[in-house]
Amino acid sequence: MLDFLVNAMSPLNLVLALFGVAAGTIIGSIPGLTATMAVAVLVPLTFTMSPDSALILMGAIYTGAIYGGAYAAILLNTPGTPSAIATTFDGYPMAKRGDGDLAVSVACLSSVVGGLVGALALLMLAPPLAEAALAFGPVEYFWLAIFGLSLIAALSTGDFFKGMIGACFGLLISMIGISETSAEVRFTFGTNTLLGGIETVSALIGLYCIPVLIDLVASPDRHLKPAEQKRGFRLPEATVILLKNKFNVMRSSVIGTMVGALPGAGGSIAGLVAYSEARRGGKGDEKYGEGNPGGIIATESANNATVGGGFIPTLVLGIPGTPPDAVILGALLVQGVRTGPSLFSGGADIVYTFIFGLLLATILMLPVGLLIGRFAYGAIVRAPKAALVPVVAFMTVIGTFAIRNSVSDIGIMITLGIIGWIASKRGFSVSPIVLGLILGRIAEQGFVQSWTIGDALGDLPGQFFGRPLSMVIIALTLLSFLYPFWPQIKRLVLRSTTDPVVDRDPAPNAAVMRDLGGFVAFGAVSLLVISQSSTLNAEAAVFPRTIATGMLALVVLAILRLFITRHVTTVSIEGSRARMLAVPIIMLVTVALISPLGFKFAAIFMGIALIIPAQYESYSPKGWAALIAGVVGTIFVFSTLFSDVLGVPLP
Amino acid sequence: MRLRTTIATVAVALIGGTALAQDFPSGSVDYVIPFGPGGESDITARFQQPYFEKLFGEQLVVSYQPGGGGAVGWSQLNGMAGDGSVIMGINLPHIVVKPKQGDVGFQTEDIAAVHMFHYTPDAIVVRADSPFQTLADLVEHAKANPKQVIFSGSGKGSANHLAQVQFDALADIQTTYVSFKGTGAAVTALLGGQVGAEWGYTTVGAKQGDTVRMLAVAMEERHPAFPDVPTFRELGYDLVSGAYRGVAVPNSASEEVRQGVADAIAAINADPDFQKQMIDGGFALLDVSYGEAMDAFLAEKASGYIEAAKNAGIIE
Repeated sequence: MLDFLVNAMSPLNLVLALFGVAAGTIIGSIPGLTATMAVAVLVPLTFTMSPDSALILMGAIYTGAIYGGAYAAILLNTPGTPSAIATTFDGYPMAKRGDGDLAVSVACLSSVVGGLVGALALLMLAPPLAEAALAFGPVEYFWLAIFGLSLIAALSTGDFFKGMIGACFGLLISMIGISETSAEVRFTFGTNTLLGGIETVSALIGLYCIPVLIDLVASPDRHLKPAEQKRGFRLPEATVILLKNKFNVMRSSVIGTMVGALPGAGGSIAGLVAYSEARRGGKGDEKYGEGNPGGIIATESANNATVGGGFIPTLVLGIPGTPPDAVILGALLVQGVRTGPSLFSGGADIVYTFIFGLLLATILMLPVGLLIGRFAYGAIVRAPKAALVPVVAFMTVIGTFAIRNSVSDIGIMITLGIIGWIASKRGFSVSPIVLGLILGRIAEQGFVQSWTIGDALGDLPGQFFGRPLSMVIIALTLLSFLYPFWPQIKRLVLRSTTDPVVDRDPAPNAAVMRDLGGFVAFGAVSLLVISQSSTLNAEAAVFPRTIATGMLALVVLAILRLFITRHVTTVSIEGSRARMLAVPIIMLVTVALISPLGFKFAAIFMGIALIIPAQYESYSPKGWAALIAGVVGTIFVFSTLFSDVLGVPLP
Repeated sequence: MRLRTTIATVAVALIGGTALAQDFPSGSVDYVIPFGPGGESDITARFQQPYFEKLFGEQLVVSYQPGGGGAVGWSQLNGMAGDGSVIMGINLPHIVVKPKQGDVGFQTEDIAAVHMFHYTPDAIVVRADSPFQTLADLVEHAKANPKQVIFSGSGKGSANHLAQVQFDALADIQTTYVSFKGTGAAVTALLGGQVGAEWGYTTVGAKQGDTVRMLAVAMEERHPAFPDVPTFRELGYDLVSGAYRGVAVPNSASEEVRQGVADAIAAINADPDFQKQMIDGGFALLDVSYGEAMDAFLAEKASGYIEAAKNAGIIE
């Protein structure tokens, strides 16, 4: 064993691990640049390396990217990678109240602990855990997705019905495009734009980040509360918080390792499941969802644990545990390393050198992550709004494009952002929509596969409810669904929790009408889906039709409740309407300009145009020049980096 | 004298110029894979990458344009530059079956296929501890228990699925096919005992080693890496099928570019090291080049796929 440790610590491998972690952290922090892409870009570089060095480099980038996703989640309310979705729930409220630096340090510590647990599991428990992961069949994946959805009960701020309706909406939009299970074209309304479906990461960017941008320009207030004095990393404070949450961090790391070992689940589900569990056992001064660091600890330790966990099936079974593992597996094949059952016996040196390299990279993440996190925090807090808005908007656009080199994805991203913003002002929070979108495909696949198997065996109930593992997940799901309602379970139909603006008095007619408008819009969506489903084959239609019917029932119930109780949950719109409207309009115009002007010039146009609605302070001519030069310069440098270093074919 | 030199110079420049225009590659080449990373299309492209650079001294840059089971990439292919700077991976049966299922933004005829370079033959794979020792065992069991033999496989309307439909007809049995997202997920279901067998590829046998057993492969002759596994033909079922992969260019590309790309891919296929890598990985090499050979190949495959897809009820 010591030999492998020494091997992993060779100067070259150390440099690669350090470089990998740093590069990964930066890539992961940019919404749209995912760990998968970061690893894919590196593959050609690794052809010239020895297999163990190549693996260490790719493992380090992967680890770094998963952690880097926390920055954007905390500072911009936009998960940098899908794994960091649940980090936004408490990270952004913490940043809002001025604790962004603390949140970043907590995320770093949790990621290191999670990463270490995952890597140690890979070192010591890989073969038995791989066997255990195989026990997960289609039914279990279906129930796991439903378990993830049970978080909706907790996430629908203020209104359970609205949360459920939002989740159904998310589930339905995840079914747009060519169906995986039936190969049928669904809900594209005849356009090729929607053929490939709604890309999850770009949808995340739109739903989370565009509303933040619109709200940013609405008022002259600073984006995040700046610190009063220099406070450094706040490492002691972060350590104390972590120690208080020691049970949480261990449980979440174990959840992350096990979910990571399930091929077909991945970091986003691991984070959500760990968050859900942490919330249920939650303690601390703040509520979960309002800035409790426990939420960050759960998500970040779980998602970094999936790195080691995901390598378990990858190396033991030759089946990628997570999408980045698929890329790494391909690169290894090219190198002539055959993963699978023979690797742990035949090619053990590579495996153990790699595992020690991964442990090393995880430890290096502590200093590297803290430093980069400090820089990211400083940059976001200090940047004037007139620079922050155009640069972040640019990042959303280029990041969305880079995921699958598609201009129409940018348009879809902005459109979803607008829908998300309007919906959130009507009291439909964005997170349930996102959960539906992410879990929809997994749920549908598991459902249709289980149905096919159960039908062939002539035992549908046994297939869905009779398997022991399924029963455990179903029980956990019920717990998770009902838990938020224990205090007011009797008032379930009336209202769940109290935030945000809930006026207990009967709402005025105008507000009731606006609320009714929201419900009617979602009701129309469900009717549209039901009518479209009639033209599809049975396999393609069963899931969307079921969801849409459920959604319609929820809408009817919600409207009845509205007229009986006249209670309305909305978030008031404050600030300049003209400025708010300008942001999406400028961005949509930019999409139209990409084809005549080329990507770079369109992006520069957008940058300059967005300064206007975002600008509140008055600048001297020199100040203006510096502002514009800064924005244009950043856009130029990043476009060049994307096209020349990352090989993104910008139009 | 001077005049003659000038003429000679111009002539040389002209000839040189034309020769240069014919040359592929004339710079780095974007190789677009219309799927996500990690699948067979990606892995074989990655296999080709170093050989391309070694043979031609230019970069082959692999990028991904996933979505709609390849449809997103193929529907955009003809909008790309036709000067040889972009090539795209293509797959059979996908490019034949998809356009027949609905409007997917391209027609099979729109795609300028220039070279098919390998295929992954279909194979029936079972776990090492399965009671099915031979294909005959499986067929016998399926005859006695209609629908009870459950196969996993990658995708609907895919090579695996069409092979299952064709084999059911040939053997006069009824089996159940469960579609999974990609080979990895289908293998997971097999190894976990969620299904009794898998319609997979020979690559599964190469990757999973002793944990699985292939009952038969849908090739004309036995696969060199698996000399002990019989072909379906040997066992009396006329089934030769699999997922065929190649490259296409945008249809604005000149004849020279098409031929140049075809020659380059063929040159990589001729490299013995490349061949060994592919065969060890369970792939089967193939050379169908641009021109009449390609037209005939596509036409023959297309009619078989369409018939099978109709029998499967995937297309009307």
